Amino acid sequence: MIPAATLPHPPLVFGPLSPELVLVGAGLLVMLIDALRPGNTGRFLASLTFAGIVAAGIAAALLWNWHGPTLVLGGMIAADRYSVFFRLVILVVAAIAVVLSQHYLERSGEYRGEYYALLLFATAGMTLITASADLIMVFLALEILSLSLYLMTGFSFRRLASAEAAMKYFLLGAFSSAFFLFGLALAYGATGTTNLAGIATRLLFTLAPTQPRGVLLPSPALALVAAAFLGIGFAFKVSVVPFHMWTPDAYQGAPTPVTAFMSAGTKVAAFAAFLRVYTVAFGPLTNDWRPILVVLAALTMVVGSVLAIAQRDVKRMLAYSSVAHAGFILTAVAAGTAEGVRDAMFYLAVYAVTIVAAFGIVMLVSVRGERNLSLDDYRGLARRSPFLGGGLAVLLLSMAGIPPTSGFVAKVAVFSAAVRAGFWPLVLVAVLASVVAAFFYLRLIVVMYMREPEVAAAPAGETVLTRLAVGLPVAATVLLGVLPGVLFDVLAHPSVLPLGGFGFGL
Amino acid sequence: MIALVPLFPLAAAAILLSTGRRWRGASAGWLASFAVAASFAVALAELSSLLSKAAPARHVITTLYRWVAVGGFSVDISFRADPLSSVMTLVVSGVGLLIFVYAIGYMRGDPRFPRFFAHMSLFVFFMLVLVTAENFLLLYVGWEGVGLCSYLLIGFWFERPSAAAAAKKAFVVTRIGDTAFLLGILLIWAKVHSLDFEVVFHQAPALAGGTVTAIALLLLGGAVGKSAQLPLSTWLPDAMEGPTPVSALIHAATMVTAGVYLVVRAHAIYAATSAGTEAVALVGLITALYGGLSAIAQDDIKRALAYSTMSQIGFMFFGAGIGAPSLAIFLLVTHAIYKALLFMGAGSVIHGLHDEQDMMKMGGMRRAMPLTGVLWIAGAWAISGIPPFAGFFSKDEIISAASLSGHTVMWGFALVGAVLTAVYAWRATFMTFFGETRVEREPHESPAVMTGPMTLLAIGALLAGLLGLKATGGVLVRFLQPVVGLPPQAGQGLSESGLTVISTVLALVGFVVAWFVYGSGRFDWVALRVRLAGLKRAGMSAFYLDDVYATVIGGPAKLAAAFTAFAIDLRIIDGIVTWMARGVGMAAVYGRRVQSGLVRTYALVFLVGVVGVLWYVAVKI
Amino acid sequence: MPQLVLFWILAPISIVAAFGMVLARNAVHSALFLIVTFFSLAVAFLALGSPFLFVVQIIVYAGAIMVLFLFVIMLLGVDREESMRERIAGQRWMALLLGLGLLAEVTAAVRLGIGIRTRAAGDFNVLVNHGDNVRALAGVLFNGYFLPFEVTSVLLIVAAVGVILHARRRHGDGGPLDRADAPPGEPLPLEEPGGSTPVDPESAGVSGAAGPVGAAR
Repeated sequence: MIPAATLPHPPLVFGPLSPELVLVGAGLLVMLIDALRPGNTGRFLASLTFAGIVAAGIAAALLWNWHGPTLVLGGMIAADRYSVFFRLVILVVAAIAVVLSQHYLERSGEYRGEYYALLLFATAGMTLITASADLIMVFLALEILSLSLYLMTGFSFRRLASAEAAMKYFLLGAFSSAFFLFGLALAYGATGTTNLAGIATRLLFTLAPTQPRGVLLPSPALALVAAAFLGIGFAFKVSVVPFHMWTPDAYQGAPTPVTAFMSAGTKVAAFAAFLRVYTVAFGPLTNDWRPILVVLAALTMVVGSVLAIAQRDVKRMLAYSSVAHAGFILTAVAAGTAEGVRDAMFYLAVYAVTIVAAFGIVMLVSVRGERNLSLDDYRGLARRSPFLGGGLAVLLLSMAGIPPTSGFVAKVAVFSAAVRAGFWPLVLVAVLASVVAAFFYLRLIVVMYMREPEVAAAPAGETVLTRLAVGLPVAATVLLGVLPGVLFDVLAHPSVLPLGGFGFGL
Repeated sequence: MIALVPLFPLAAAAILLSTGRRWRGASAGWLASFAVAASFAVALAELSSLLSKAAPARHVITTLYRWVAVGGFSVDISFRADPLSSVMTLVVSGVGLLIFVYAIGYMRGDPRFPRFFAHMSLFVFFMLVLVTAENFLLLYVGWEGVGLCSYLLIGFWFERPSAAAAAKKAFVVTRIGDTAFLLGILLIWAKVHSLDFEVVFHQAPALAGGTVTAIALLLLGGAVGKSAQLPLSTWLPDAMEGPTPVSALIHAATMVTAGVYLVVRAHAIYAATSAGTEAVALVGLITALYGGLSAIAQDDIKRALAYSTMSQIGFMFFGAGIGAPSLAIFLLVTHAIYKALLFMGAGSVIHGLHDEQDMMKMGGMRRAMPLTGVLWIAGAWAISGIPPFAGFFSKDEIISAASLSGHTVMWGFALVGAVLTAVYAWRATFMTFFGETRVEREPHESPAVMTGPMTLLAIGALLAGLLGLKATGGVLVRFLQPVVGLPPQAGQGLSESGLTVISTVLALVGFVVAWFVYGSGRFDWVALRVRLAGLKRAGMSAFYLDDVYATVIGGPAKLAAAFTAFAIDLRIIDGIVTWMARGVGMAAVYGRRVQSGLVRTYALVFLVGVVGVLWYVAVKI
Repeated sequence: MPQLVLFWILAPISIVAAFGMVLARNAVHSALFLIVTFFSLAVAFLALGSPFLFVVQIIVYAGAIMVLFLFVIMLLGVDREESMRERIAGQRWMALLLGLGLLAEVTAAVRLGIGIRTRAAGDFNVLVNHGDNVRALAGVLFNGYFLPFEVTSVLLIVAAVGVILHARRRHGDGGPLDRADAPPGEPLPLEEPGGSTPVDPESAGVSGAAGPVGAAR
C-alpha cells in the first residue's frame, strides 16, 4: 500500500485560476452573509458582489502578463491571453448586470440573497469555460453556468412566465447537455484523451498511418462525429438555428436583468469555448467541420432576422436578434482562420456590451417588473426620456451594423474574414440578412422618435448607477465605432489566439 | 486641413442634439448655419491651397488614424483633398449654407426647430465625409449616414402618415442599392486587398475583366439607389413629403448626386470596363427621359421638381457613362445651384400659399410674389438650357459630348430629353406664376431670410455657366482633369458649334410649346382638362386643337408617363418589394407557429438539427 | 469470452428497461425500470474489470439516487398518470422517425469511422488496472483530473442553492401576490393585464401571448 501522500499530483499552480477563485469565494461569502443576516436589504450584498467582480477583473487583468507555465493544473486550464480577454468581457457584463439586478430586485420586491450568489457562480462558470483546456472542464463549467442561469431565469417566482421559461430552458438544456456528453465520450473514444491540445496532436499523429497503440485506435472520422455532437452542445448555448428554440421564451420570461446578463454572458462564454474547442482540438479537421458551420450560420442569420420582424414584444425581438447575431459570429468561426477568430472576438466583445445595455434600457423602461414591453410602449420614448431613447437608438444602430457604431466595424470585420476564406455565398446571405435585420431595429427607432407618446411622463426610477450602467456601454459603442483600433490593437497580438490553435503556443 | 471641413457641422449637430431644447427662437438655425459657413470657409481655403500647386500635384491625403486593422484588413480614417473633392465640398457647404439660412425662415415656428437643424447638420457632416473620404469604407460610412439622415428628415413631420410611409419607402429602396454597394466593396477588398482609392484605382486596370465589370455594376447598383435612377427611382417623388429645405438640400442638390460622385470618383474602375460604362450611360439616359416625361404629367409642384431632379441626374450619369465625367460634375454643380433655387422658389410659393402644393391651385403668382417669381424664372431659364444661364453650358456640353464620342443614337434621345426639360420647366413656370390666379387664399411674399439666399443662388445660376465657358477652355473641366481626364474632344460627328445650335434651338422649341399651351392665354388648358374628361366619356372630339394638344402633347406624354410609372414603379419594383415583404411576413408567421411554446416541439426541432448535422457527417465519412 | 456472453445478456436488458422507463405511464414503474438499467450497467462495469465503479453504481445510483426519486414521486402522488395523448398531429411519428434516423446515422458514422473491429479489445486489468482498480481510479481522479473533481463541488453548491431557493419559497414567502415587504404605492401585478401565461401546458407558451404579426410596419 502506498501512503496517500506519495500519490503524484501535478504542480499546484493556481495563479491562472485566480479570477474564478475570487468569484466563487465571493459567492460563498454572499451566501454566508445572507444566512447570517437574513433581513439585509440587498444593497450590501450587491456591493459585495460588485466588489468581487472587480477583484476578479483585477486578477484577470494581472494574468495578461502571466509568465508561468501555459497549461496548468493537469492540463485543465490554459493560461493564455485568449481567456483573459474573454474573462474581462464577461466580468464587465457581470458588473453591469449587478447594477441592473439590484435596481430591478429592489423595485419588484423579488430580492433574495441567493440571487447574487447565483450571479457570481454563473460568472465563475462563464469565465472558467473560457480558460478550460480540457473537454471535462468545458463541460463542468458549462453546467455551472447553465444551472445557475436556469435558477436565475426562474427567479421571479411570482410570475408564471418566469417559471415556465426556466423549465423550458432547463429541459432543453439537459437535452443538449446529453449530446455534448455523448460528443465528449466519442472524442475520448476517438483519441484517447480529453485534453484539447492532446486531441489535436493525436489527430495530426494519426493522419500519418501508424501502428495502433494501446487499447485505443485514434480515429479522425470518429473525432468528426464527436466534433459534431460537441458543436451541437455549443450551438444550443449560443442559440444557433435550429437549436435556438428556447431563446425567445427564456429571454422573454426571465427577469430582464437576467436576460441582459445571459444574453451577453452565455453567448461570449459559449462562443469562447466553441472557438477554442473547434480551432484547437479539431483544428486538424477544419476543412471537415467548416461546411456544417457555414450552413448553420446562414440558417441562423436568416431565421433570426426574419422572425424578429414579426415580434411586437421588445424583449422577444431582441431575443431573435440575438439569434441572428449568433449567425454573424458563426460566420467568422466558419472561416476557421486566425483572422476569423480575432474578428469573432471583436464581435463578441462589442455585441456583449451592446446587448447588455440594450436590455438594461428595456428594464429601465419597464420601470418595475415586466411592464411596458410592447412596441407601442416605446412610442415617443426619445421625447419622454432623451437619455433612454437616444441610448437605445445608438445601441440599435450598432446592432443593425450602421456606421459609425462599433457594430458596423464588427460586421465588416466578420464579413471580411469570411470573404477571405472564400465564403462568398455566405457573405451574400449575411449582407441580405443584415438588410432584413436593419428593418426591425429601425422600426423601434422610428417608434421611439416618430410616434406621439401615449403618456408624457418619462420612465421613472433611473439612478446615477443605472445611468452609468447603460450610459457607459452606449459611449463604448460609439467610441469603438470611431476608434476600433483600441480593441483591434489588443487583438492583434499573436498570443491572443487560443493556446495550441493555429500553431500558437505549445 | 480637409479633415476640418466635416468637423463643424458635426459639432453643431452634437450641440443641438444634446442641448436642443435650450435654443430658443431661431438661434439653433443660426448656429447650424454658422457651422456650415465655417466648413465653406475651410473648403475655400483648401481650394486656394490646391490652386497654389501645380496641376498634377493637386492631391493631398490626410490620415487621422488607423481605423480598422485586423488580420490583413486595415482601413484608415483618411481624407482626400483633390480637385473633385474640393468642388464637392464647396457645393455641399456652399449650397448647404444658403439652404440653412433659407430654412431658418421656412421652418420658423416649428415645434421641433432645433431638432431639424441638428439632423440637417448631421446630414451635412456625413455628406462631407462622403465626398472627402479617401477609401471606400469611409465613403460607405458617409453613404449610410446621409441615408439615415434622409430617412429621419423625410419623416420629419411624422404626424402625417404619408411622411412616415415615404420615409420607410426611401429607406427600404435605397437599402437595396446599399447592399449592392457593400457587396461591391467586399469584392474590391477580396480582389485588391485594400480599400484605399489610390491603391484600388491604380490596380483596377490590371484586374480581370469580369471582376472589374462586377465591381462596376455593384457600385452602380449603390449609385442607382442613392440617386433615384431607374429602377430604384420610386422613393424620390415620395420623399417630397419632407420639409422643402430638406428636398432642396438632400433630394436635389447634394445627397441624390452622391451616386454621380461615386461613379465619377470610381472613374478608373469604369474606364476599365466598357460594359460598366455603357450601363451607366444607358441607365442615365433612360432615367433622363422617364423623369422628363413624368415631370410633365405632375400637378404637385414639388413632385414635378422631384421628377425633374431624377431626369437631371440621369443626364449626369449619362455624361459619366459616355466618358465625360468632368462634364457630369459640371452639371452636378450647376444643377445643385439652379435646382436648389427652384426648390426654394417652390417652397416660397408653398409657404406663401399656406402649404398648398397643387399647381392647379396656383397661377398668376408673379403678381403676389414678384421677387419669388423673378428668381424662379431665373431657375427655370437655367434648367431649360437656354443661354446665357448655367444649364445651357452644362447640359448641352454633355449632349454634345455624346455626339463627339460617337454615341449618335443616344445623342438623339438626349436631345429629346432636352426638349422635355424645357417643356416641364416652363410648364411649371407658366402654371404657377402666369395666367389667371386660381388661388384660394391670399398669398404673401416670403421674408428676406428666404429670398436672400434665393437671390444669391439666382446670381449663381446666371454665372456658374462661366465655369464651363468654352472660350476659357472650361475652367472646371481643366481643374478636374488630373482626377478624371478630359471629356471627348471634337472629331467625330457634327462640329461643336453646330451641336450647340441644335440643342439651343430644341430647348427654345420646348419653351415655345410650353408657352403656347400654358402661357399664351390662347389656350384654355384648365378648361381643357375638365372637358377632356367629359369628351372621353362622350366618345367624340369637338375641338381640333384640343385633340392636337391631347394627342400630340398631353396624350403621349401622359400616357407614356403613366405607362412607365405603372410598368416600372408599380409592377416591378413595388411588386418585388411587396412580394419580399409578404414572403418575409409569411415566413415569420409560419415560424411563429413552430414556436408553439411546447418544449417537445422545441426538442423535435432540435432533433431535426442533430439529424441534419449528423447526416452530413455520416455522408462525409 | 465470458465478457461477450455477459454483454449480450445485459445490453438487451438495459435497453429494454430503458424503453420501459420512458414508456411506462406510472412514475413508480419508470423508476423501477431505471433501477434495472442501472443494475445491468453496474454488472457491465464489473465484467470490464472495474469493481469499484460496479459498487459505486449500485450504492449511489441504484441505491441513494433512486430512493430520492421514489421519495419525490411519492410526495407528488403515486396515482397520477401522465397523459400520453399527443395533440400536435404527426409529432410523435416525426420524433420516432428522427430518433431512428439519428440512431442509424450514429451507427453508420461510428462504424464507418473506426471500422468493424475483428480482434478482441485489450484486457482492462492489464492495461489500466495497475495494482488494483481502486488505486488506478484514484490515480486518475486525484492526479490528472483533480481539478474537475474539485470544480464539481461548485456545481453541487449551485444545485444546493437551487434547492434552498425552491424550498424556502414554499414556506417563508407566502402567496405569490401578498408579500409584506413589497414597496407600497404602486399596484402589485408585475405584468401587463392579460400578459400572464396560462398554466395549462398545452396552451402554454410565452409566445402565445405575443401580438399579431407586425411585418407591415
